[in-house]
Amino acid sequence: MPSRRGSAAVRIGTAVVWAVVAANLLLLLWIFLTSLRSGPDILKHNFGLPTLPRFGNYGTALGQGGFARAALNSVLTAAGSSLVAIALAAPCAYALARRRSRTSSALTMTFALGLGVPGQVLVVPLFVGLAKVDLTDSDLGLALVYVGLAMPFTVFLLTGFFSSIPGVLEEAAVLDGAGPLRTFLQVVLPVARGGLITAFLLQFITGWNETLFAIVLTSSQSKVTLPVALASFVAAQQFNGLDYGTMFAGVCIILAPMIALFSWMGTRIIQGMTTGIGK
Amino acid sequence: MTTTIQHPPRAPGAGTQARRPRRRGLGPHERQQRRMFWPFTAPALIAYAVLFLAPVGYAVWTSLYKWDGMGAMQWRGLKNYQVLFQDPVFRTSLVNTLELMFVGGAITFLISFVLTLVLREMKARLFARSVLFFPSLVNGMVFGIAAGFLFSPTGPVNQALHLLGVTTPPKWLSTADLFPMVLGTVIWTATGYYTSIIMAAVDQIPDYLYEAAELDGASAFQRFRHVTLPCAWDVISVCAVLWTVSSVKIFELILLFGGSTNSLPPVDSWNTALYVYAEAFPRATVPRLGMATAAAVVTLLMVTLVTVVLRRVLRRDPIEY
Repeated sequence: MPSRRGSAAVRIGTAVVWAVVAANLLLLLWIFLTSLRSGPDILKHNFGLPTLPRFGNYGTALGQGGFARAALNSVLTAAGSSLVAIALAAPCAYALARRRSRTSSALTMTFALGLGVPGQVLVVPLFVGLAKVDLTDSDLGLALVYVGLAMPFTVFLLTGFFSSIPGVLEEAAVLDGAGPLRTFLQVVLPVARGGLITAFLLQFITGWNETLFAIVLTSSQSKVTLPVALASFVAAQQFNGLDYGTMFAGVCIILAPMIALFSWMGTRIIQGMTTGIGK
Repeated sequence: MTTTIQHPPRAPGAGTQARRPRRRGLGPHERQQRRMFWPFTAPALIAYAVLFLAPVGYAVWTSLYKWDGMGAMQWRGLKNYQVLFQDPVFRTSLVNTLELMFVGGAITFLISFVLTLVLREMKARLFARSVLFFPSLVNGMVFGIAAGFLFSPTGPVNQALHLLGVTTPPKWLSTADLFPMVLGTVIWTATGYYTSIIMAAVDQIPDYLYEAAELDGASAFQRFRHVTLPCAWDVISVCAVLWTVSSVKIFELILLFGGSTNSLPPVDSWNTALYVYAEAFPRATVPRLGMATAAAVVTLLMVTLVTVVLRRVLRRDPIEY
């Protein structure tokens, strides 16, 4: 039995944990409720139920705020770049996991080094480079940047994943006369589906939330992603008076897919983000 | 990282020759893997080299020039770095970055340990862990905007304090208090993430170790100190490195903290990421790309240095269980 002092401390600790959990949930709830209220009402009573749920805030956000177009851009760049990144990284990670040679470990090392490079080191060079090939203020350019940024972590994660898949399957395929490409596509990839989905999810989440490169690389209303749209909406508020309802509708639009993904595949996401880094 | 257990079994005697190409005795599988290596790795490698490695090199190169992005580049050598360290704005940014890294890190990890300790003994821990984890999936600017409203002078926090009889609440979002607020928010959002990683490691510690410790009369804290901490040490040291890298990337939280992006937040709350952004993409003045990249390179060097030192200091003999 744990000592008395210990159990008391644990009980207080448990209370604190639940308090923080409650605070997180209440914050989300409050953001959602606020997104359904009118500006003046919010300022009068900071907390409160919407008298009449104003879904019109969402209409304003999507239309005038430009969030509809931005959401589409966000989906396209995040999903597109994640797909490409995984299509590139998967064969590479597979080859690195299976082949044990000096070259392969040097390459693995090279990719791992990228994990330590903060984005702000790349922002100026990528901006200059993309401007040269006329890919600034373009979703394609932004997606390309996300592919590059994704490489270190995706290769790292998938290498770990592939090396945990037993090699017996491939040997059988090879004995049956399948070439390397066919073995990879028809035997390895289906088995690795779980890891690929995890890698895709993590990359999608990263792309969805990415802000620095999006702010720097996109500017016209038809090109910006959600974080940029939200940032410029907040900036515009300084002049137009604060429309908190619409602003929080925007916040909800950026939050919603994350909540949906997390309640649907939460364990997978946590596992991917933790085991990819942990053991 | 996993070991070579999954390596395809070779014919006896082939092991020593496997490294050298053009020797007989390789299985068809082995030979195939050799042939597929470059075609499989090349696409990712090219993307990585063009979109990642080359830009890093270009950043280092640019940091030695004076350049506005349009005209000719003027060679300045290491003078950019010298100017950088004389710039009070950069020094503030650097101090803030270090504060985020060390103070933020220390508090985050301390809370994570406590949470791990508590969560281990708790009911519904998976649910609690999920909720604590969620903020790490949320764009930082959401917290910045929410805080801007919650802590505004007539905002909910001050109203609540007023009800409690506090008539002069702190000026939460004043220039001087902005950075501590950022720090607090970062800690708030990061602890769930690190708690999850540490807990994933803790879950792998076999129960009998805890049972044995309990039989010996160890308190919850002692069990943490003598079982959890040593067994999860590897993961904790990885987390420390991870924190180092991710703490310098914080950007949008600071940019939008207090919900005020009229142009840029007050200099007092900048970190080096904001400094780079402000120097390279100013609203009114000429871009100073040399200074911006120099600041970025300083950040990179700092991360590298801290990582190397951390790996050294935190290295322990692996414990097997």
